[in-house]
Amino acid sequence: MKILHQIEYKPAKVAGGYTDRILRIDLTKPEITVQKLPPDFKNKYIGGRGYALKLIWDGASQKTHYDSPENILVMASGPLGNEPAFVGTGKFIVGTISPLTDTFIDSNIGGHFGPVLKRAGFDALAVSGISKEDVVLLIDGDSGTISVAAAPNYDKETDDGALSYGEKLLEDFKGAELDDTLAAVTAGKGAVNSRFGIVNSLFFDVRRKRLRSKQAGRGGTGTVMRFKGLRAVIARSSLSKVNANNAIDKEGVRRAGSKLKAVVSQCDGQQLHLGAWGTTGLSEYMDKFHLFPINNYQYGQSPDSPKLFGQVFLDKYFDKKIPDGCYYGCNLACAKGAQDVKLTHGPKAGKIVNVDGPEYETVGAVSCMGIFDPQFVMEYNWYCDEYGLDTISTGVTIGFFMECVQRSFLTAADIGYELAFGNIEAVDRLLHEIVDGKGFGKIVGQGVARGKKWVAEKFTAQNGSSQDEVVTELNKFGMEVKGLEFSMYITKESLAQQGGYGFALKGPQHDEAWLIFIDQVHKEIPTLEDKANALKWFPLIRTWFNATGLCKLPWIDVRNPEAANTPEPSKNVPTLEYYVSYLNATTGSHKTLQDVLDDSERLYILQKLINLRHRRGTRASDQIPWRAIGPAYFNEYEARVDYYDEWLRQLLGDSKVPATAEARHKLLMEKRIQAYQHLCDMVYEKKGFTSEGIPKRETVEKFGLMDKQAKQLLSQFSK
Amino acid sequence: MKASIKFLGMQRVITNTDSLDMPINGNTKVKDALEHVRRQYPDLTLQDGMVLITVNYEVAGADRLLKDGDSISFLPLIAGG
Repeated sequence: MKILHQIEYKPAKVAGGYTDRILRIDLTKPEITVQKLPPDFKNKYIGGRGYALKLIWDGASQKTHYDSPENILVMASGPLGNEPAFVGTGKFIVGTISPLTDTFIDSNIGGHFGPVLKRAGFDALAVSGISKEDVVLLIDGDSGTISVAAAPNYDKETDDGALSYGEKLLEDFKGAELDDTLAAVTAGKGAVNSRFGIVNSLFFDVRRKRLRSKQAGRGGTGTVMRFKGLRAVIARSSLSKVNANNAIDKEGVRRAGSKLKAVVSQCDGQQLHLGAWGTTGLSEYMDKFHLFPINNYQYGQSPDSPKLFGQVFLDKYFDKKIPDGCYYGCNLACAKGAQDVKLTHGPKAGKIVNVDGPEYETVGAVSCMGIFDPQFVMEYNWYCDEYGLDTISTGVTIGFFMECVQRSFLTAADIGYELAFGNIEAVDRLLHEIVDGKGFGKIVGQGVARGKKWVAEKFTAQNGSSQDEVVTELNKFGMEVKGLEFSMYITKESLAQQGGYGFALKGPQHDEAWLIFIDQVHKEIPTLEDKANALKWFPLIRTWFNATGLCKLPWIDVRNPEAANTPEPSKNVPTLEYYVSYLNATTGSHKTLQDVLDDSERLYILQKLINLRHRRGTRASDQIPWRAIGPAYFNEYEARVDYYDEWLRQLLGDSKVPATAEARHKLLMEKRIQAYQHLCDMVYEKKGFTSEGIPKRETVEKFGLMDKQAKQLLSQFSK
Repeated sequence: MKASIKFLGMQRVITNTDSLDMPINGNTKVKDALEHVRRQYPDLTLQDGMVLITVNYEVAGADRLLKDGDSISFLPLIAGG
C-alpha cells in the first residue's frame, strides 16, 4: 500500500477500561495526532456516545453539515467494551453530523473493531477533514504505527463492495491468512450515492474461519465516511483479550459476568430464544399484535407474515450449530448468519454468498415494501451490506414512494416503471439504482424527508394544487421524524412508543426507548404520567449502554426471574445491578444505579443542546406523522374497524360515538393527536424542558454543561 | 366448553403444533391451562415470572376464570432491541 503519511507511537496501556487517548486524524492535511485526555474527561463523558457528543459539540458549529470538513466522524467503544468475562462487550458507536437529520447521529455496532482499537491504544478515533483522494487508515498497535495510505484499487466488483473490499484489504494488509488480531470498518458504493450509507464492521470468526460483519445502520454514518474520502479503517493488536480492560477488581468483573451469563443461559431458552433465532423471532410477535410495518406501516398484520417468521430463517438459512456471538464471551449469541446463499436477483445473480443476518429490522423493512419472500430478505440483506445501505431507511423510503403511487401522488411515468407494494422486480431494480445513484434511485437515496419535498414539487407542478396541502398530506404517511426514517414497529396503539420515537434525539430509532409491549400488551404504564416517567427513565439507561461499549440485549431482552419481585419488572433492575457491579469493578468507581442514570442524563442534555444548535431540538422537531399516531387513512381504520370503534366507545361512552364510520375515524384521529400533545407537555416537564422542548437553564447547569455556547443557545431560544 | 392454548415462536417448534384445545368448566382458571400444558409438553419450560400470560391477546392473571372460546398464550417478556 502506498503510505501517504505515517507516525510511530507507543500504544497506551488500558487501565480500568480506559487508555485515556483519542486518535485524531485530519484527512485534509493529512495529520495524525494522539490526544491525551485530561483526567476528568472520562468522568464527565463516560465513553462511546458521550465522547462523540463532546467532540462534536466542541469541534463543530451550527454551520457544520455532514459534508463540512470540520464534521467529525467518531468511532468509540467505552470503558466496559473489550471484556470476554462479561456478556455483549464488543459494541462501539459511530457518531457524526448526519446527512439525513443534519444533526448528531450515532449508531451502535458490534464486532471486534472497538475492542481492537482500544487494545491498540485508543478509546476513540476521531476523523475530520476531507481527503483529496480515497484513503484507508491503518492503526497498527503491533508495529506501533498509524498510517494514512492511498486506498488500493483491486477490480471494480471488489472496489464497489464494502464486504468484498474489506476482505481484500485485510488480506493485503496481513499478507497471510486472516485471524482475529485484525478488524476493519468499511463503507461501500451505495454510501457514496445515498444519504443512508452504513459503516460495516468486519471481524474474523474463528469458528467459521471467515470474515463476518455487523453494521452501524442508522443515519448515514457511512455516507460521511465516504464523503471524507475514507474507504476503510483497519485496526490491529495481538494483545491478549483476557482481562484486556485491566480491571481494577478482576474478581469483581468475573463475579458480575458469571451472574449475567447464568441468567442468559437459564432464561433465553424460555423467552425469546435469541441464541437460536436471533432477532428474526420477533416477526411473529409483532404480527400477532399488529406491529409489523406492512405496506409502509399501514397494516400491522397479514396472512402472508408467517413466511417471514423466525422458524423459516432457522429452517432454511441459518447455520444452526454454531454459537453466534459478535464478540468473545457473549453467551446470548444472537448474531445469526447463513452460508452459501445463492443470489437470484441483481447484478450478482448466481453468485454464492455468506449472509450475516437478517435481523428483525431487515425482515420488517422488506415487509414495509409489501414483500413476504424470505429468499428476497436474504438477498436484500446481503446487497445492502455489500453496497453499504441501511436496510431500514432503504425499505422505509421505498415503502413511502410505493404509497405515493398507491395514493396517486406519483405515476409509473414519474418513476420510469411500476412501483407497487409487493413488486420484487421493481424493488430489485430500484435498490441497485440507489446504489449507483442513477434513475429514480437518485431521488430515493435522499430519504423520506427530501422525498416528500420532491413529490410535492412534482405533483404541484403537474396538478396545480397547493404545495402546502400536498406536503400536509405526505406528512401523514412519510415515516420520518427529524429526517430519519422510522425503525420497524407500528406505534398506532402505543402512545408511549409514539413518544419513544418522537422524542428520540437522533430521530425515530428504538434504541432510545422501546415501550410498545409494556404499554400496549403488558399495560404496565397505563397513565400519562407513567408513560412520561418511562420516557425519561428508559432513554437514560439506554444512553448509558451506548456510552460504555455494551450491547443492551442481555439486559432488555432476557428478563431476570428476580425482576418479577421488583416494583417495575420491565426495568429488569436485578440485571442492571450486575452491570453497575461490572462498571465499579472495571473502573474502580463506587457508583449506584442512580449515579449511572445521572451520568447518562448529562449526555442526554448535551445531545439535546446539539440538536438545538442544529435546529432539531424544539417541540416542532418532536412531531410525528399521523400514521404513527393512528389510522391515518380510512383504509387503515377499516382494516380494524371493530377495534377502533371499541377504543372510541371506551374513551367517550356509547352516546358520544358518531354514527358514521367516516366521522368516527375523524374523531379518533383528533383524540389521538390531542393525546400526543398532552404527552409532549408532560414529558418535557419530567425532562426539565420548557413546554417548547428546550432545556431549562437549571437543567443545563445541573449537569455542568453551561459553557459559552450553551448560554448563547439558550438565550437565542428564550427570545 | 373449551379454550384454546396458542403456541408461538419456539413453543410451536417444541410442541409441533399451533394450538392445543382444552376442555373447561365454569371453574377452570388460567393457571389450570398452564398446568395442562406443562403436563402435555414437559419439554416446554414455562417458569413463573418468565412468561407473560395473555387471554385473547390481553394480559391476564393466573387466577382469571376461562370462558368458552378463550385463546390463551404464554409470551416471552419482549422489551425491545
